[in-house]
Amino acid sequence: MGVSAILEVRDLHTQFNTLDGVVRAVDGVSFDVARGETLGIVGESGCGKSVTALSILRLIPPETGRIAQGSIRFEGNELTHLSEQQMKSLRGHRISMIFQEPMTSLNPVLTVGTQIAENVVRHMNVSWAAARDRAREMLDLVRIADARRRLDEYPHQLSGGMRQRVMIAMALSCDPQVLIADEPTTALDVTIQAQILDLMIELKEKTGTAIVLITHDLGVVAETTERVVVMYAGRKVEEAPVEALFENPLHPYTRGLMRAIPRLDVEADAAGTRPRLQEIPGLVPILTQPIVGCAFAARCELATDRCRATLPPFVDAGGGHTVACWEVKL
Amino acid sequence: MTAYIIRRLFATLPVMAVVALFVFFLLRLAPGDPAAIIAGDDATTEAIEAVRMKLGLDRPLVEQFVVWVWALLQGDLGVSIFSNLPVTRLMAQRVEPTIALTLSTLVVAVSLAIPIGVVAAWKARKLVDRVVMGFAVLGFAMPVFVLAYVLIYFFAVQWQLLPVQGYQPMSAGLWPFVESLILPSVALGVTYMALIARITRASMLEVLQQDYIRTANAKGLATDRVLLLHALKNASVPIVTVIGIGIALLISGVVITETVFNIPGLGRLTVDAVLKRDYPIVQGLILVFAGVKVVVNLIIDISYAFLDPRIRY
Repeated sequence: MGVSAILEVRDLHTQFNTLDGVVRAVDGVSFDVARGETLGIVGESGCGKSVTALSILRLIPPETGRIAQGSIRFEGNELTHLSEQQMKSLRGHRISMIFQEPMTSLNPVLTVGTQIAENVVRHMNVSWAAARDRAREMLDLVRIADARRRLDEYPHQLSGGMRQRVMIAMALSCDPQVLIADEPTTALDVTIQAQILDLMIELKEKTGTAIVLITHDLGVVAETTERVVVMYAGRKVEEAPVEALFENPLHPYTRGLMRAIPRLDVEADAAGTRPRLQEIPGLVPILTQPIVGCAFAARCELATDRCRATLPPFVDAGGGHTVACWEVKL
Repeated sequence: MTAYIIRRLFATLPVMAVVALFVFFLLRLAPGDPAAIIAGDDATTEAIEAVRMKLGLDRPLVEQFVVWVWALLQGDLGVSIFSNLPVTRLMAQRVEPTIALTLSTLVVAVSLAIPIGVVAAWKARKLVDRVVMGFAVLGFAMPVFVLAYVLIYFFAVQWQLLPVQGYQPMSAGLWPFVESLILPSVALGVTYMALIARITRASMLEVLQQDYIRTANAKGLATDRVLLLHALKNASVPIVTVIGIGIALLISGVVITETVFNIPGLGRLTVDAVLKRDYPIVQGLILVFAGVKVVVNLIIDISYAFLDPRIRY
């Protein structure tokens, strides 16, 4: 990647202070986002994928958490060194973000038009009238019918899918270089999910905005992303182009995730029962204790003493496919 | 909306009727014989009976009530037992200082308390927050009359910056008018201010946890816009509610403040009338205070619809 990477995250550590001790929510994660690509970050709840996203925008609440170590470079600027004012002018402009809960992510007492236009006024140095025109244009773009009327409506007058469209319109209103989407379709109906994902991909093609799509849904990853980072317990365990990951998952955790996807193409037996879904045995490790060795070792059937003692380095399986596992035989 | 306002106006009628019923009987059934008091300490039994007859206090309670309500409906609050002047005229003479005092207190308290609460919530658990909220607890715990005398001692007696007591009408010039209101307003407003500041902080703290605040921050909006528009507008319903509830606090505070500062307003009139058992005045005042409270509640209920678009009537 290197040359074309617009966002480079290196060895990111984000920690939270809790009553139980320091939680290492993100523990040494590195990845690149290339211009205009769609990168998926996948993992189960609590693996640190949302915290990674919030860290990039430096939206970790300072009372409880902090970026302890690592580097986040965006268009060559080190984001961890920028002042809060400089970050503010980046947020919603060069890098923007949409969230999981369209029901609660829009302000209930401000009109949709105000919420989109204020972003434009903030970053594009234009009048409110021009920003309102831009807001209407954006609503057209995300295919909300009757945009002019919708501008003056409040979020509670819109459905969940429409609200997520508004969030997308808002996030894209200043032509960002990177759009971070944190579980953007999780709270929506399946049919609406597909529409929203299609819309995001279509707009990406149109605008050239790179998308970082954070999800726990491998189906979403398969359909929309080009490259995937798999996270477990605050660490990256595998990274690959999406086809390679699905054809040849290397890390035992990734394989476990794949086996946990319900399949309709497996034949039922004579009694009409299908094979049970395989779950990954065990629980996610507690993140208040530093994890020695591979984070997945406690749940891994291949784990050896070496896995429990030493953190496995990333090995290159070729074609941009890398994995951190001692037991993978290439 | 108009239909709602009309409906709400009609709904105030039974409230006022119950208030009227309550004040009438409460005072009649309270211990102490007004006829004996009016007749004076040395009066004979005959003299007391004569006074009782003259004022109609010997009639059955129900009859007294009907006569009183009938007059009330015609805007007649009766005649003061002692001064023989119509209650409405007595009130009209005393209303200006009270309006000046409550409005200045309201404006000053609200315009200071809300920014204080917002800053405290923004800097929650930091030094500013702890200092400000410490003062708020102190302010809320301090009785009005204690604070009033402390203020008088320092600002009027020791440093001689402001008048000790008294009231100057606006016609006496703007500065004398303002000067005479500063200490009473502070004394009266501190409790109220503490109450509003605490509610503002609590309400803002809750709102600042919401997802839409994270969205606003993710848009890179300036801090003041996030706090004063995105957060405060959402936090406003409980704040406005407490401002309204606090009006009752102000009315009771006015009685004390006007007494301490010797301000010839409705509060002083109340104290004088109660001490003399001048029933018509006391009844009239309670009705007026209750009416103010009902109107304030109405205004607050209507304001909700403007503050939160999800509220529709």
